[in-house]
Order: sequence, then structure tokens, then C-alpha cells
Amino acid sequence: MLRVRRPQVTLYVDRSSQHWVVLDLDGSFWKLPNVENPWDQREPFYPTEETELEPIPGHYKYLLGLPLD
Amino acid sequence: MSERQWGTVREDYSEGGDAWNYFSHDQARSRAYRWGEDGLAGISDDQQRLCFALALWNGKDPILKERLFGLTNSESNHGEDVKEYYFYLDSTPTHSYMKYLYKYPQAAYPYANLVETSRSRSRQEFEYELLDTGVFDQDRYFDVFVEYAKESPEDILIQITVNNCGPVAAELHVLPTLWFRNQWSWRSSTERPELQQSTGNQGWSLIKATDPRLGERYLYCDGEVPLLFTENETNTQRIFGVPNRSPYVKDGIDNYIVHAQKGAVNPDKKGTKAAAHYRLTVDAGQSQVIRLRLSDMAPVGPENGQVKNPFAQFDSTLQARRREADEFYATVIPRSLNADQANVMRQALAGMLWSKQFYHYDVDKWLRERGSDPFKESHKTAPRNDHWHHMYNGDVISMPDKWEYPWYAAWDLAFHILALTLVDPDFGKQQLKLMLRERYMHPNGQIPAYEWNFGDVNPPVHAWSTIFTYRLEQGMKGEGDTEWLKSSFQKLLLNFTWWVNRKDRSGRNLFEGGFLGLDNIGVFDRSAPLPTGGYLEQADGTAWMALFCQNMLEIAAELSLTDPDYADMSLKFVEHYLWIASSMTHLGENTGMWDEEDGFFYDVLRLPNGQAQRLKVRSMVGLLPLCSATMFDGVAMAMYPEVAERFLRFLDARPEIRTAIHDPLKTGVAGRRLASILDETKLRRVLAKMLDEKEFLSEFGIRSLSRYHADHPYVFHVGDREYRVSYLPAESDSGMFGGNSNWRGPIWMPVNALIVRALLQYYAYYGNDFTVECPTGSGRQMNLYQIAEEITRRLASIFLKNKDGRRPVYGGTAKFQEDPHWRDYLQFFEYFHGDIGAGLGANHQTGWTGIIARLMHLFATLKPERILAGGKRAYSEPQAKPEFVSPAGVR
Repeated sequence: MLRVRRPQVTLYVDRSSQHWVVLDLDGSFWKLPNVENPWDQREPFYPTEETELEPIPGHYKYLLGLPLD
Repeated sequence: MSERQWGTVREDYSEGGDAWNYFSHDQARSRAYRWGEDGLAGISDDQQRLCFALALWNGKDPILKERLFGLTNSESNHGEDVKEYYFYLDSTPTHSYMKYLYKYPQAAYPYANLVETSRSRSRQEFEYELLDTGVFDQDRYFDVFVEYAKESPEDILIQITVNNCGPVAAELHVLPTLWFRNQWSWRSSTERPELQQSTGNQGWSLIKATDPRLGERYLYCDGEVPLLFTENETNTQRIFGVPNRSPYVKDGIDNYIVHAQKGAVNPDKKGTKAAAHYRLTVDAGQSQVIRLRLSDMAPVGPENGQVKNPFAQFDSTLQARRREADEFYATVIPRSLNADQANVMRQALAGMLWSKQFYHYDVDKWLRERGSDPFKESHKTAPRNDHWHHMYNGDVISMPDKWEYPWYAAWDLAFHILALTLVDPDFGKQQLKLMLRERYMHPNGQIPAYEWNFGDVNPPVHAWSTIFTYRLEQGMKGEGDTEWLKSSFQKLLLNFTWWVNRKDRSGRNLFEGGFLGLDNIGVFDRSAPLPTGGYLEQADGTAWMALFCQNMLEIAAELSLTDPDYADMSLKFVEHYLWIASSMTHLGENTGMWDEEDGFFYDVLRLPNGQAQRLKVRSMVGLLPLCSATMFDGVAMAMYPEVAERFLRFLDARPEIRTAIHDPLKTGVAGRRLASILDETKLRRVLAKMLDEKEFLSEFGIRSLSRYHADHPYVFHVGDREYRVSYLPAESDSGMFGGNSNWRGPIWMPVNALIVRALLQYYAYYGNDFTVECPTGSGRQMNLYQIAEEITRRLASIFLKNKDGRRPVYGGTAKFQEDPHWRDYLQFFEYFHGDIGAGLGANHQTGWTGIIARLMHLFATLKPERILAGGKRAYSEPQAKPEFVSPAGVR
């Protein structure tokens, strides 16, 4: 069976605010709270020039409850 | 189980591919692995769902000793290096019995000292070792022996014996640890395994493990010991600075034991990682024993009236497995070997068997997880392996060294098989076939090199190992596995074609290949663009291909005995071999690889302006053409006269081929034919160099670079820059290829084995009348069998006690030479000092250094007259001979 691959989001951590951050396919950033299903309770995030986002491996997306496979 | 998962390519998700620093030893205790697990004396099931290993704490270390510590490539002055002492003492091929030793200091482990001191040392200095730190002074350490004995395939007895070697009583926390490899965090499936405390009984504690696929397993722990539970999940607070969702994370047990964080383990006694906490005080010179049992058998419930004692038969079963291991090795190790020789051989084979590891790497998934999906238009460039997205590896594989090289290396693996087949031919066949499967071999036919860059080019030795393994089984069972040989041949054809199409730039049968496993042997980095421009015609690359042809010819000829379709393929490989072999010697007029003046082969540098010159470094590169030799008995040719006729027509049409190499029509002993690049004259000239103790012949085997270059370094200038190759008998003095291996002088076991093989091929052809002086200038004449045996004697003497009771492998390390708790435990290093035989490089590269077991076995069971009488059959019909004696009479 031919499987069409879905585009991917990008995961980060913002150590200063101690939050996971997700960059979605539309270019929007989301801050994820530290709860059981973080993606469901995401909040918009607006990086500033001082924000340092550290990339996180893609396999952590399941841990964050992201809906993409 | 691996001894190091941190610092591997698989766990590396950094932008630039800095695997060593992205996932460090310091992170390993807190960060869940994506692709595999590691541990002390660890085991797992064959898909590594459930893992068991040992953790220790001496009350002084800043962390639990859950895994071996070592320096990363940049921290050490000679590349990565494990800084621990551990030994693989025994194993049967079924793993019905295994024994391991770890030496654990009672003082705080000097983590910082090792890093700081090593960083301050130059490449000209020795490595800073754990013994140098003084942490083993006054014998203040524990010998921790771990033994596994199977009651049945899924029922494993585990005995841990702790011996206090120090002068006073000392305390040790022993934490046998059971855990699940984390697969649940990295997928959408909700399936999750669980460990939980179960009802034990008076006298023992019990951990029940439940996995949706594996089923139930039970860890019985002798004694009523506390059981500690946490989760094998990343401590996100420590690693990423984000608060943990659960208080129970991978380092929970470490935090509980070492930092007295009582909330770090789950009071509900469940999780995915658990340990029994034994707290021992061991008197000086005394031992204490811990017994465990990891089993698929549930305890008998109280409703049955009586709880079964899981340890009732423990001691008798353990004794039985030890005895069976002794009985097994009595059938493997020739009786003619003395006790020390037998000890070396058994530990070499134990190391081979302990070095199996579950290796998991789904390259496509790995690429996508790092945003480098090769099928997306806009994707990040992966630092490596983006052309190998077809690969899915998830198998138990023989590793070169489970700490320093905890990833398979295809050419190493082909050598591993030579030793492994002494005890487990089926595993050898399975491993060879694995590398040719579609999940490993590239669709274009390339065999993967290793995870650092699957696309690197390593010597093509797979076909040799294949025909070797086939012949071995043929001898043991009376017939070979022709179906296995056929299917291997088909895939090897793809690999052969890949080589021909990719590595012969000019189409003249002269091959490149880059470093070809010999790291720093060349004047330049042979895998990088040359500073002169142009390219190299490599003597080793071309010789490897000549040998590859001979191996394919031998396979095709063997298959043609029962299937005529292969007769034509035999002729194809005869002709291809002749093209390659003759190209080595007669192409290039005065700039071919053969140097008539020196009587040696060299790489040839072809410059952009059309000029060419030999790079006259006397190294293993120039000895490899000697290794390209295979004797044939002519049976297949006799069966197919039409093919033989075509062969003769081919030779008639090209008489120059017969004059450039050994004449393939010239018959030797018993009418045999010889495929050899070197004719008799060239063979004698190369042997004169190889057997000269001032050049290649060391007291401990054949050096990788001639000692001649100690006083006569080879110097090459490009503009203002000088390139210099000198004889370096120990460690490398440059950072080329990571600086952790050195081919400019040391002795390497695999290429020595190839030389021994070639000498025996020549001997079967030339017989007893062909003698040369060995060592050169000594006045002693030896035939080629005697020379092969003499080289083997020298190689074995690296590990054996000499007349002073010292083992050259341990050089000047007094502890290893003199202490009865150390001196009979062996490490099978990566390579050996070119003058004194001391072990260098990776400490436990039992992988290909384990070949010493095969060589010792060979000369203890083979007689020269049987080679002359039986040819290849002689190797597969071993017959013990009374003593392992060198031609010089030195035992």
C-alpha cells in the first residue's frame, strides 16, 4: 500500500520558560503546558529576539501528544 | 546487550552529526534511549523488549555504576577509549552458560580526573588509564562475577559473586536491574509494558514483567530484598529543563540510592524499570553471593498450598551448566594445547559470543525524526546516511567491540565469522546472509560499512568468509549447504558489480576504494580529495578485487559441480580475475604498481597532468597482493571441457597475461592450479621483505608498516606542505580517521590471518620444495607451511605467558603481569605494538582479534602432509596432532 507521508512539525524546548514549543506547518509557534495531553491545551507562542529555541528530536512528538503520525 | 548506547550515531539528533557529544555518558542515566539499551553484563531477549543488567554503588561514587564509562573521541589523546576493567570469561554458543567479571573500585571513580588528564596529553604520549589513577591501589576493589545459566531457553539463573579484594571490609550496593526498552514513548500505540512487585514468599522477592508481545516474565530475587521501581523515561527536567510529568524517571533509582531522594521511586511498586536492592558488607578477602532467576514460569500460588522455591535446584543446575560448558570446550579446544593456550582460546571465543548485540536502526524513521525526510522537497540535510533510507536493522549481530564499536562493521563481521564458526557455524551463516538481505545491502549492491557512514567502502571480504564457512560445514556434515551458497552468490554478484562499476575509474581493472579499512596507512587520507589533484590506483583495492574474483570463482566452481548453470559463471570470474591480476603488474609501463627495483607493490598516484608516480611506502597495502592467492584442484574444469576450451582460447589470445602473473596453466602439487598475482619470482621477493625482522616480521606477527620507515620516513611534498609516513609501532600521532587506530606499524590480526591463509594456499601448490629464509638473513630455510605456522606462533605469543611468566599483550602494566587476580584474564585488543606486542586501541575488539582462536585451532589440528594430499579438504577434516610446537621448537 502506498502511504503518503504527511509533512512534519518541528519541536523545540525553550529552557528559559521551561516549556516545549512546537512550530506547526503554517509557521505558527505553540507553547505546550506540562500536562497529560499537552497539544490539546497548547497556547500561542511568540518568540522574541532573545528567545533561544533548542531543537528536540522528532520522536518526542508522541510524548507531547501531537496528532501527526 | 550493548555496553554503550550513548554517543552512537543512532541516538544522535544533532544538526551537525556530533554523535559523541550530543548524547553523553552524563545524560545516559537520565535520558531514555531511542534505539537500544546498554548495561553491565547485560542481556535481553532477541528483540530487546526486556533487559537485565547489573548496577553497583560503592557508597562514594557520584552516580550508580549502571554502564561502563569511557572517554569520547575528543576527550582522549588517542580517540575514544573505555576506562573500566571487565572480562568475558566464558560462554557457550547457546548461552546456556556465560560468565563475566567486572572490577569495581571501592574509592570514588575518578571521572573528572580521567577526562582532564587525558585532555592535557598529547598524541605523542600514552593514554591515561584507570590503573594510572591509583584507584586500584592496595587492591581496594571488588571483583564482581556475573554468571548466567539457563534452566531452559526462557528460564535463566543468575549468580552474582562479589569478592572484596581489599585489605578491609567494604560495603557494596548491588542492584540487579530489570527494565523494558522504551518503545512506548516513540509511537502512537498505547501498548505499554509494566513491571510490578508481585507476591513473593518468605525468602525471596519477586518482580513480575508483563509485555503485550513478550508475555509474562518473573525475576525471582533471593532474600527478602527491597524492590525499587521507576520508569524508563527521560528526566525532562534534567535533560531539557522542562518539569517532569511524572516523578518517576530513568534516573529514579540512582536518585533514590545515591542522593537519598525517597520520592524518586514509585511507592506503588510498579513501573518500567526496577531493581532489587542488595546492600552487602564484604569482609576483606571474602565473597558474598546473590542469586536471581529470570523466568517465564510463574510462582505456584498460595492456593496450591505450597509456594515453589525457585532456588531449590539453583546450585545443581549452575554446576551442571558449568560442567557442560567444560565438556563442550573439550570438544572444541585441541587436547594438544596446554592450559595457558586453552585459556586464551576459550576466552577469545567467550569474547566473540559475549559480543553479540541487538542492533536496531530504522534509517528512514531516524531521518524523518530529525527532519531529514529524503522524500520531502524541503528537508534538512542529514549529516550522514541519507542515501540509506531503505535500511531497517533489528537483529542480533556480532559486534567488533560492544563499548568502542557498538555497531556492526561489515568487513569486521566477515572476519568474526572465522572464529565464531569454531563454535556456531549456523550463527556464522546467518550473519553473513544478514548483510546481504534487502534490509541491509543497498539496492545498488553496496554492502553497508558501518553507521558512521554506511556508504564508506570497506574491503570486499564477504565472499571469502562465505566460501570458508561453506567449506567448514561441508567438512563437518559431509555436504555443504548449496542452497545457502547459491543465494549468497546471487547477492554477492550484485556487490561485485557495484565494485566494478563504481571503483574502477579508468575501466582498466585498477581499483580505488579510499581508505579501505586501513585508516592512516597512506601518505594522504585516501578517502579525501588528494592535495595533488588526480587520483590513486590502489594496490590494496586492486588486490582485494582480485581476491574477490578468486572467491567468486571458487563459489561458482563449487556450485557448478551440481548445477551446470554455474560453469559459465566460473569462466566469467576466471577471466575477470586474470584481467585484474595482470593489470596490477603490467599496466602503466614504468608506473605500474609493481616496483621492480624494490620488489614490492605500491599505490600509484595519477596526477591531472597525466604524470604518475608510485608512493613508495612499504606497508600492508603492498602485502595484500600476496594475499590474493587461491589454489584450485581443477575438478570443475574437468567436468566442463567446453568451458575449459573457452578458457584456453582466452589465454591463447592474450599471451601477455600469462607472463605478467603466475601462469594459471602451470600445475603444481597433485596437478593443482594456482590463481596468484605473484609469480614465483615476485613471491620470493615480497616474502624476503615480509619475513625480514628489520621490515615487516615482528616477534609478534606481521607489521602493518615496514620498520624500514623508522629510519627512512617516506616524505612527499605538495607545494610547501610536507607529508610524512614514519614507522609508528604504537598509537597514531595524527587525528586522521579519529586518531584511534594506527596502521603505520602495529600488528593487526585480520590481515595476518589473510597472510596465513595465502601461505597455506601457496604451500598446497608449491609443496615442500619451495623454501625461503625465515627470518630473512637468518640462514634458516622454511617451507610455506612452516612460515604460516611460525607467524601464527608469533601471533599467539602476544597473549601467552612467555618464559618469564609475562604476557606481551599487557606490556609494562605490572598489575596485569603480576597480580593473580588479573594476570590470567585476557583482553583482545584492536591491534598490537609492532615491536613488543602490547595491546592497543579498543580493549575488547575480540571481534576480529578473536581470530587467534581459529589460528591456534588450525595449527593444532592440521598437518602439512594432509594439505599436500587433500588440498582444501584438509581444513575441514581436522585431526588432532600431539603438540602445538613451532618449527623453531619453541613452545
